[in-house]
Amino acid sequence: MNECIDCIGDFRDDWPSTKGGVRVSVVCVSVVFYPADFAVRWSQCSATADFFAEYFAAVEACRSDDPAARDEFIGTLSYVVNELVENAVKFSVGETVEVTVGVEDGELIVMAANKILATTATPLIEKFRELLAGDPQELLFARVEANADDPEAGVSGLGFLTMMSDYAARLGWRFAAVPDNPHNVLLTTMARLEVRKP
Amino acid sequence: MSDTEIKGTGYRVWFDAEAATVNLEGSLRLGTTEYEPIAALLNQVIERRPPAITLRMTDLVFLNSSGINTLYKFAIAIRKLGDIAVHVQASSTISWQSKSLPNLRKFLPGITITLN
Repeated sequence: MNECIDCIGDFRDDWPSTKGGVRVSVVCVSVVFYPADFAVRWSQCSATADFFAEYFAAVEACRSDDPAARDEFIGTLSYVVNELVENAVKFSVGETVEVTVGVEDGELIVMAANKILATTATPLIEKFRELLAGDPQELLFARVEANADDPEAGVSGLGFLTMMSDYAARLGWRFAAVPDNPHNVLLTTMARLEVRKP
Repeated sequence: MSDTEIKGTGYRVWFDAEAATVNLEGSLRLGTTEYEPIAALLNQVIERRPPAITLRMTDLVFLNSSGINTLYKFAIAIRKLGDIAVHVQASSTISWQSKSLPNLRKFLPGITITLN
């Protein structure tokens, strides 16, 4: 694993668990995207989200025979993966975007990794710390109101705040050095969701 | 395409003037700027100052955070006008609706939401 520069929030640095360099028996699926033009294709983010949601809805640890519970699971995982992938492709400075979803001990873990410009790392760390500092719902309301008053104010972090506030997701971020490339930093965003088996 | 209908791959948003209802259907996961035509349609609806409108979302399966923000801002715009009653027809079986739609009450306290 690349050298960690900073790790904030509920990022699980020990996941996916490995033993002797091999992933232990957790259900874990990774997809790596290489195309340079992925950044603008929102429908591909959506297709990625739907793939992971449908796939994990059939994984024993998440599976439900109750159609309503299954729809709820798919809706939740699809929303979270879509938000993480949208962010990853929006802020990626190229090369790969890697999306990983896994389930272990009643917890669904979603990760999206992309390279960012090293100069943007410090402001991003600040921004993420602000998101974690207060009540996510209050912060969500305040930011939407501010954006309605002044569109230039932007709605930075709304996707993350929605995940925390409405989906009870625990979020974390890891910033890591990219070997032989001081201009980029590898940013991995993690969202952790409790799996509710009926 | 009429000025009261917006269609894209997998989604359709249109205003039924007779029923005073904005219908949103499909899966809306667009980039922030791509929501501008939809925001413009919503603003046109309230510029007519109808006494009441309905937002029908029972067939809107997905909405990303940019879309949710568009919806919240629409609710705030209506609150500022102060004289339009809003009813939301939603579905409790659609995950994002049961989780995020109740927040609309914060932005527009008089709003009524039916989760079928």
